[in-house]
Amino acid sequence: MITVETQPWSVMVDHAQATYPNECCGAMLGSIDGDVKTVRLALPLDNAYEGAQRERYELRPEDLLFAEREARKNGMDLIGIFHSHPDCDAYFSKTDLENSCPWYSFIVLSIQQGKFHHANSWLPNMEQTEAAKEELTHPNA
Amino acid sequence: MPKILIPTPLRQFADKKDSVDVAGATVGEALAALTTAHPDLKKNLFTDEGKLRSFVNVYVNDEDIRFLEKDKTAVAGGDTISIVPSIAGGAR
Ligand SMILES: [Zn+2]
Repeated sequence: MITVETQPWSVMVDHAQATYPNECCGAMLGSIDGDVKTVRLALPLDNAYEGAQRERYELRPEDLLFAEREARKNGMDLIGIFHSHPDCDAYFSKTDLENSCPWYSFIVLSIQQGKFHHANSWLPNMEQTEAAKEELTHPNA
Repeated sequence: MPKILIPTPLRQFADKKDSVDVAGATVGEALAALTTAHPDLKKNLFTDEGKLRSFVNVYVNDEDIRFLEKDKTAVAGGDTISIVPSIAGGAR
């Protein structure tokens, strides 16, 4: 299961609402203790997708390297990636799956008419063929 | 010897190390040395057919090997190899 603390949660929601109607993305830093992940810091990152960002996002590898370095600097780990679905539910789409990486939790925030609506966390498999829903706790839940 | 930086989620398969020094004159040799020393890393990085998984990008210093000579890219002592996932998506 994954828990997002209040401060990073507000960073994620603010970023998702500010970039609406486009998709946003970012990194989640924190700690892992057995099966329990805690997000303590959220880093909004650039949506680098060249095209209609209303329904696509792309992370630059160098931004992920930056997030890894920030994590190390803060004594944390890079544990997940978040992105938003403007006016769509927080499912893990085929596009999400085919461009995912099984090493991280993927939190999807559904933004409806510019406001946070709900969120889910997903764990994609190695073959990028399916994603399991991960129990998610956050301040708006 | 070149150094390979291990992303956090993979350290559990590399004796918790954040970097590993490996022998090898090319990226391909270095990655082979890494997965020989830490076999549990192999399925995270390579498909059963031995190809790098689609979400795995490899950088030498700050250069993506796809824009160099891929797995034949030469490496030497002082070079740092980074494993960086490629991540994207979209609601539709
Ligand atoms: Zn998505």
